[in-house]
Amino acid sequence: MAQGDKLKGLKGAVVPLLMISIWWGLAHAKFFPDYLCPMPEKVIGTAIRLYASGELVFNVKMSLFRVISGFAIGAGIGFILGAGMGFFRIIEKTVGPFFHAFRQVPLLGWVPLIVLWAGIGEAGKIVLIALGASYPVAMNTFQGIRSVKKEFIEVARVFEFSNRRLLAAVILPSALPEILTGLRLALSKSWMMVVGAEIFIAANGGIGDMMWDARDRFHMDIVMVGFILIGCIGFLLNQGILWVEEYSLGWRKTFEKG
Amino acid sequence: MCAAGILKIEKLSKSFNVDEKELKVLEAINLDVVPGEFVSMVGTSGCGKTTLLRLIVGLDGQYEGDILLDGKRLSGPSIDRGMVFQDHRLLPWLTVEQNIGFGLHDRKKADRKAIVQQHINLVGLKGFEQAFPYKLSGGMAQRAAIARALVNRPAILALDEPLGALDALTRMYMQAELEKIWKEEKIAMIMVTHDIEEAIYLSDRVVIMSPRPGRIKRVIPVPLARPRDRDSFDFVQIKEEILKEFHLEAEKYFAYSI
Repeated sequence: MAQGDKLKGLKGAVVPLLMISIWWGLAHAKFFPDYLCPMPEKVIGTAIRLYASGELVFNVKMSLFRVISGFAIGAGIGFILGAGMGFFRIIEKTVGPFFHAFRQVPLLGWVPLIVLWAGIGEAGKIVLIALGASYPVAMNTFQGIRSVKKEFIEVARVFEFSNRRLLAAVILPSALPEILTGLRLALSKSWMMVVGAEIFIAANGGIGDMMWDARDRFHMDIVMVGFILIGCIGFLLNQGILWVEEYSLGWRKTFEKG
Repeated sequence: MCAAGILKIEKLSKSFNVDEKELKVLEAINLDVVPGEFVSMVGTSGCGKTTLLRLIVGLDGQYEGDILLDGKRLSGPSIDRGMVFQDHRLLPWLTVEQNIGFGLHDRKKADRKAIVQQHINLVGLKGFEQAFPYKLSGGMAQRAAIARALVNRPAILALDEPLGALDALTRMYMQAELEKIWKEEKIAMIMVTHDIEEAIYLSDRVVIMSPRPGRIKRVIPVPLARPRDRDSFDFVQIKEEILKEFHLEAEKYFAYSI
């Protein structure tokens, strides 16, 4: 088992290592000019320098602050909306079509409106992220509640459960896997949106801002640092929710567990 | 819990609306069940036996005639009537222990634990308290479901083909277990089954139903001492009598051997 896990971890490293070797090869062959394709060791050096100066930590903190605020607000609204549509057909009938039409507008299409309404400060960015986070949570919460088995509800009815107890003991636990999937999608969407928000809505700090600023000054090494950092932090956020899922859904007999 | 549990069904009829048409599923059902009695209902599919059970438990409503428990007309579910379903319907996110305590109403924590433990012992699941349902075999899951239905000490336990999903050997074993539980708990049981031998083995009376609309065709008493021997002359006689109602009796040949 332990050996299998180790092998699995190693397999995940194969592709990144390959990519880095190709990058290293291309950079050292001087295939592209240095300002377009900086050498890996230069990028590492830049990362260390940025970290030492505190710039990196500041930018990551700024981005994370926006993501967490936007995600919390968006997920909260999405949950209420999804649960409302899941429980009450009248809400589904009235709000549903509007919601699905709204959902079609690409998030970046919202930028002009949001900038006008919420400004170019923190509020605008957080609204954009919240918007992106709310859709997957609403959709998955709705699906989760609608797919609660009638059979389980009957069991609760035989025991004379009140609606509140039915909700807490049957409906929410049953919908939890879907709700968590929604949260996971929302978090990764939030993380993607923050970079967009920082680029499209002028930002004071943040990884997106750092990259955009560096691009203006042809500092591709800083852009690369941001690029890799975005991937790594996104991966960690995803792993975090996966861990929560595994912890709270241990009762599931899954393909993974065999 | 305090009900003596005399069930009286008088001139019961029930119709469903199917495609705007009235479909009569039960007609003129008269049946009394005395406290502590074991009654089985057998009949081909579509004879309304499951509907009758669901009406007794209160999962279906709106019937004509009367279903009286201690003289009171039934409407809706109540914890004085329990139900075991064919599919065990254990909640997959709860352990065996939590599932069995699922329907316990308003008890002190210590009482709760004692009652649950007592029922775990009753159905022979000691050692599996912390297991999740996906780890249980069909027979074990159904034991847990039976325990769950018993914790509130209902006056009447309705069983809808409780052993129908089990293999033949487990099934025979569970029949003996069910009889043991019935004797210990002294709860009236009404069971729907397809298995005539099972009905005779367990019941004080076997109710034979005929389909479209569901009616009671005959009630056959089983005045045999327990535990019953499936191969005894009297057992086989009763089986023949029931099979005759379905025109399935074995043809008799006179055989000579020289």
